[in-house]
Amino acid sequence: MTDTPDSEKLKALEVKISAAKAAIEPAPRRESKYEKASLAWRMVLELVIGMAMGMGIGYGLDSLFGTLPIFLILFSLLGFGAGIRVMMRTAEEVQRQKVKQLTENETAQKGQKRG
Amino acid sequence: MSVESTTEEATSGFNIHPMDQFEVHPLFGDGAIHWYTPTNVTLWMGLAVLAAFLLLVVGSRGRAMVPSRSQSVAEMTYGFVRKMIEDITGKEGLKYFPHIMTAFLFILFANLLALLPYSFSVTSQIAVTGILAATVFISVTVLGFVINGPSFIKLFWVSSAPMALRPVLFLIELISYFVRPVSHSIRLGGNLMAGHAVVKVFAGFAGALGIGAVIPITAIVAVYGLELLVAFIQAYVFTILTVVYLKDALHPAH
Repeated sequence: MTDTPDSEKLKALEVKISAAKAAIEPAPRRESKYEKASLAWRMVLELVIGMAMGMGIGYGLDSLFGTLPIFLILFSLLGFGAGIRVMMRTAEEVQRQKVKQLTENETAQKGQKRG
Repeated sequence: MSVESTTEEATSGFNIHPMDQFEVHPLFGDGAIHWYTPTNVTLWMGLAVLAAFLLLVVGSRGRAMVPSRSQSVAEMTYGFVRKMIEDITGKEGLKYFPHIMTAFLFILFANLLALLPYSFSVTSQIAVTGILAATVFISVTVLGFVINGPSFIKLFWVSSAPMALRPVLFLIELISYFVRPVSHSIRLGGNLMAGHAVVKVFAGFAGALGIGAVIPITAIVAVYGLELLVAFIQAYVFTILTVVYLKDALHPAH
């Protein structure tokens, strides 16, 4: 059996290769502070704009029909709801991205182990 | 302009006008600004278009198999936007690639040109970003109705809710459909305006501090680096949201 020293050599080589690969491989992308801050800004803006828009529509309708507080109150509530809706959708989007990233990382790791 | 005035009047304390740089004024002479008056906004928008033209048409004129530097930059930009659309909407979204590529390049170059000293930041004007968002909003809405017919309105009609709640939810969904473009335009404009105003404030400090100006100048360098990042990220964010709308129009059921 002459292949024993060879296989040992090969194993050593494999270890070396995987170490070199790990060194080259880019670190998993982490969210920077800037990205987090801009996400927070996005959500706050959406909430405020939703509310402002609802109030604008309500006030417009009121001045059209001459029923001042009714539509203003109604539509500012609706606008608030819309703001929350958009905000939740943004959160959902971010969550979906995170899950996707995680699964991608996992499959990449599995692939490495197999190879 | 405000740089000059701050250095002149620096002896009399701080005199910083961070918002002067966003003033719109006519290119030729002084007078009232009408909708047809060529202003500094017009000039810098034109320069942004010119820069995009230079990159894509002149830069890749060689059409070499082994691309030159400018050609490979143009090709990478093309590939980047194309891949983004394909990832989000799938193959059928690629028909609308020209619109999205145009918006991306225009915003990117407007943001980058605004970083030159003495330039004017076009994308800090809510009027400009609002129109950009409105073109996207209107074209995507029209597209949604053309492709899906009147059933596009089902996007707002939450059929999983109880019947009594549906009209209320319809109104909420409708308002929230209008919220998103407004939020995008304000975000793009606000990011640009905030960054440029900060640079200007630090520049004002530098004028007033004398030898201590080293500190604000270092800060300006740091903020400038951040602004470079913001210029790219905001262009990217605006484009990716356009593509997300497009997906809504193509597949309203999601």
